[in-house]
Amino acid sequence: MKNKKDTLNRRSFIKASGVALTYTLTSPLISRAAGFKNESLQAWSCGGLAEAFLPASREYELKTGCKIAYTGAFAAALGKSLLGSATTEVFAPRVLELAQTLKQAGKMLSFQPLCFTKYVLVVPKGNPAGIESIEDMAKAGVRVILTPNASAPGGKASMIILKKAGILKQVQKNAVMLGDCVQTAMGDLIKGKGDVAVMEQRLTRIPSFQNMTESIDIPEKFIPAKPVPFTIGMMKWAKNKELAEDFIKFIVSETGQSYFEKAGFIPAQSQEGERLTQKYGVIDA
Amino acid sequence: MLNVKRKISQLAFLVILGEFSFYGIFRCPFAVPYTECGSCPVIQCPGKKLWLFFWIILPISLLLFGRGFCSWACPGGLFSELLSKISLFKGKINRNTEKILSCLRYLILLASITFIFLLNNPRWAIPIRTGEFFNSIKLTFEHADTFWLIRTGCILIGFSLILIIPHFWCRYLCPTGGLLEALKKISLFKYSMTDQCNQCDTCRNVCSVDTRPNEINCTNCGDCKSTCPVEAITLKKGY
Repeated sequence: MKNKKDTLNRRSFIKASGVALTYTLTSPLISRAAGFKNESLQAWSCGGLAEAFLPASREYELKTGCKIAYTGAFAAALGKSLLGSATTEVFAPRVLELAQTLKQAGKMLSFQPLCFTKYVLVVPKGNPAGIESIEDMAKAGVRVILTPNASAPGGKASMIILKKAGILKQVQKNAVMLGDCVQTAMGDLIKGKGDVAVMEQRLTRIPSFQNMTESIDIPEKFIPAKPVPFTIGMMKWAKNKELAEDFIKFIVSETGQSYFEKAGFIPAQSQEGERLTQKYGVIDA
Repeated sequence: MLNVKRKISQLAFLVILGEFSFYGIFRCPFAVPYTECGSCPVIQCPGKKLWLFFWIILPISLLLFGRGFCSWACPGGLFSELLSKISLFKGKINRNTEKILSCLRYLILLASITFIFLLNNPRWAIPIRTGEFFNSIKLTFEHADTFWLIRTGCILIGFSLILIIPHFWCRYLCPTGGLLEALKKISLFKYSMTDQCNQCDTCRNVCSVDTRPNEINCTNCGDCKSTCPVEAITLKKGY
């Protein structure tokens, strides 16, 4: 009887050991998810990514119980602040050089490709002027909306595209509006104040402009490289590096990237994204 | 009772329009705030949903009650009213000075109309599309153009001067108030004085804007009605 009892105890011991071993092996994963509960992470990004970052951050908050304090604004301005005295824990800038500069300054620890923007011709629904290609912007009578004074990705980039296409001067003659805000320009285009504008595809996905315009592709040879890639990286001020890393992992995961695709970007984790990563050399060397 | 109703109305509109008013001053990147909300990049601003309501309610309130919006609905008006309680120079501005200073708001109104209709309401600050409360304000100031800093500085100085002259902002600088003041004669309902008025000026003494019914800067608040010793203040109907 005594021996039987001993045997049962041994079995119980082995069982308990098995449970303990399983727990020990899996506990880092369990405690990692639970460990982020009630924690907070400050994430900054280029303002254009806000439509993707907001719902993605919300999903991450629901998943982990932590709080993402998100700020989205013109990346160059945020970058300038970060190169000064401002701090954040995760930063997703536009323009590869900004990520590289922050890393060289020792402020960004590492970065990886996040997504790519796409420049397109935007026309009002129904394409009343019958625009078919970028060259049509130079045709007499076509009313073009330009935003030369908007922040660089919206203003300067669109002017470079027209210059590379060799039609800048003719298009400037066709300009019916010279704006300083791409969203105001989109509103004017939808109201029919113009026939065509060079815009980022993301603008056509903003809820207030959705399904109100049509897009026409611009040949890639006309697109300037600088404003196209977006990266995401951990900053040296990350208080909980595991949380920052986990958040970045989520953003570049299939779930996270789906928000960027929905917002009009090309996700880095896609076949096209991988091609663009190679093309633009988005590598944290 | 009327005063209680007005306070309830002010509080209700503070809940509805308070945040929008705040964003217009501190986060709106445009030269003239509250006018480009439909296409503004600042995602967090409640103006995206409220601006049409605001621009519909404003002319309706003008047609019905003249400058009634200022005293019954405007969150800035409520703030001004509260701050005016501790103003240093209450009732000490003579009529000529009042008229001269009041011209400032028409200059600001003219400038606003020029910016909106002739200059396409330029953007003077980098919009912080979304972010934490204080951090976003800090970043807006940090990356704003000089013109935006001057514009916002003038608004803040205008409100600060309420500590010296009651309702300084509403009386002399507010372009919306100026527009309503210029057109208030068309309103359907307005407080005014009957022939029974004995010029005792009790109404002026209780008025937080230092005026009398239906005179310059009267916002149709109705606070003076119950204080008239000869009951000469009535709410008149008709043009």
